[in-house]
Amino acid sequence: MLQVSHLTKRYGHVTALGDVSFSIQPAEVLGLIGPNGSGKTTLFECLAGVLPADGGAVSRDGHVMSPAERSRAFFYLPDGVAPWPQQTVRWALAFADGFFGAAVDAAAHRVEGPDDGGIGDLVRVFDLEPLLDSRIGELSKGQRKRVLLAIGLLTPAPILLADEPFDGLDLKQTREIGSALRGFASSGRTLFLSIHQISDAARWCDRFILLSGGRVCGHGSLGEITGRTQTDTLEDAFLALT
Amino acid sequence: MRSRRSAFSWLVEKEARELVASRSWWVMLVAMGPLVGVSFIGAVRTYAEASGLNGTAAGVGEAFSPLVGVWAPTFSACEVAAAFLLPFVAIRLVSGDRQSGALKIELQHPMPPVARVGAKALVLLAAWMLAMAAPLLAIVLWRAYGGSLYPPELVTVEGGHVLNAGLAVSLAAATASLTEHPSTAAILTLSVTVGTWILNFIAAVQGGIWDRIAGYTPTAMVAEFQHGLVRLDVVLIALVLVGAGLAIAAVWMRLGVAVRRRASESIGVGAIAAAAIVACTFVTPSWDWSENRMNSFPRPDEEALKQIAGPLRIEAHLAPEDPRRADLERRALSKLRRALPRVQVQYVSATSIGLFEQTSAHYGEIWYELNGKRAMTRATTADSVLETIYDLAGVAAPPETDEIFRGHPLAVPPKGAAAVFYGIWPALGVAAAVFARRRTL
Repeated sequence: MLQVSHLTKRYGHVTALGDVSFSIQPAEVLGLIGPNGSGKTTLFECLAGVLPADGGAVSRDGHVMSPAERSRAFFYLPDGVAPWPQQTVRWALAFADGFFGAAVDAAAHRVEGPDDGGIGDLVRVFDLEPLLDSRIGELSKGQRKRVLLAIGLLTPAPILLADEPFDGLDLKQTREIGSALRGFASSGRTLFLSIHQISDAARWCDRFILLSGGRVCGHGSLGEITGRTQTDTLEDAFLALT
Repeated sequence: MRSRRSAFSWLVEKEARELVASRSWWVMLVAMGPLVGVSFIGAVRTYAEASGLNGTAAGVGEAFSPLVGVWAPTFSACEVAAAFLLPFVAIRLVSGDRQSGALKIELQHPMPPVARVGAKALVLLAAWMLAMAAPLLAIVLWRAYGGSLYPPELVTVEGGHVLNAGLAVSLAAATASLTEHPSTAAILTLSVTVGTWILNFIAAVQGGIWDRIAGYTPTAMVAEFQHGLVRLDVVLIALVLVGAGLAIAAVWMRLGVAVRRRASESIGVGAIAAAAIVACTFVTPSWDWSENRMNSFPRPDEEALKQIAGPLRIEAHLAPEDPRRADLERRALSKLRRALPRVQVQYVSATSIGLFEQTSAHYGEIWYELNGKRAMTRATTADSVLETIYDLAGVAAPPETDEIFRGHPLAVPPKGAAAVFYGIWPALGVAAAVFARRRTL
């Protein structure tokens, strides 16, 4: 189990994250829910080490993790990016597999997916076959999102931080990919998903972190949160807490 | 089954693919042809006209050295490209990752930042070597015309331009890594380039310490290489600057490190580089690879100067912009410093142009002091300087030798060069761009 404690991030006088603490369980799908500007992306970037936090720590079994240990534990998929836009999807998948796999294979951190987690399976799961020879910069938002998820799952990090993984996907794709992600979680991969569509979050996540104004205003399973707020749905609970 | 390739090799491949995909690189490659062409054709034509006018190769001296007459102007195209084209290629390669979001993904690999910058630098260096095929083509044409080649001086000129490209790449990488947007990086890079020109101008006007500092600017460095001179201090300082630029790029690439820490690390890199540069200025070895030894006294004179043990002090009453001072430096003192490391030169003047000091009784005097003895002349030629020093040292002047560079006149017009550089090279460049971009699909 990973414990995030007192994570703080300020931009000048603005507090983006204030004393954020929560835990991450192995092989769970954890949903990060919050309105725009609540600090979801900042939280992911601080956890992944691509943004410096002003305070706080991440510990595993009581041991505070070093930045190197954190970078091995987390892999962050940003929202709204088109990495290597001139390259093809086929090459990007091979690159992610080779570049990230080469370093961490030896450390045996890799967690396999529903099948063997290789490129071929991810191409099938995310329906990437027709896109393999397209340039990433020419893909639609939803297509890019599927490619990025495949890239993230090709990396050996046991915890995947995905910023808005369902953004840009149609209903059918959302269901298929949500189902696939659950499959990866049941195979041992922990998925931490930032989702602004609360209905999607309620459908696919085991537990939730509710973030508002850079602070955790609620956490737990659907039953725990609705029970605590005496509401029927996650949406109502979220409104009651924010 | 996973491949056994290292992460670094994957990164190098990625940088190479990104380079091939960038228009800026192809624009530079295509532009190198006409840039080199205009310099080469002009130089060969002038060389041919001068050769034809004199009609004989005997005793024409350094005017007919291909190094000065053809290769310095031809390779000056590389200097233009390194100042105005290469930085944009480098900025595109460094900033592109940040703009597309690829940097945030790649940074999650626990690879040292120096390796990330190293991969980019390697690819950019390879790209520059490819671009330098244009002046190499000029060498092939020159040979086809029957021109003389002296490989050591050519290698020196090429080496100088590779080093200059290294400086351009490291500067561009540092600014691209420091700034959020490529346009800001481009402005910063060009500002530094213009700043070095201003420094050269100040040195020409003010002299003194400015002159010393300006001796290490890329323009001054390239000028020495173009004359076949390799100074170890200049090479070491250029390498320190390249290393410092790449180190700063590596420092600022780490988005996950607090800005304050990155700033203090950059200051540390700057301080170490400054100390290394100061140390390098005390390094004196240099090599004259020019065929006509244009940076050296004749060998017998160099042998005679070796017999002089004491420190030689020279006090020249000449203003920085006085042409006699430039003559004295170029013809005598720059060679003397190489032959006699314990020489101290001090310039004395009240103004920068010296025009209003001409009436002063002492203006124009050049005083020499060796082993407590002093002598004064006003002559600025190498012969008179050497004669004065030999008199002071009590050393017999060596007999004159017939070691005179006769030059390599060539009265041949640059036939076919226009077609090669203005037609074939750009056409091949465009075709290669289309082919390479299709192949990446």
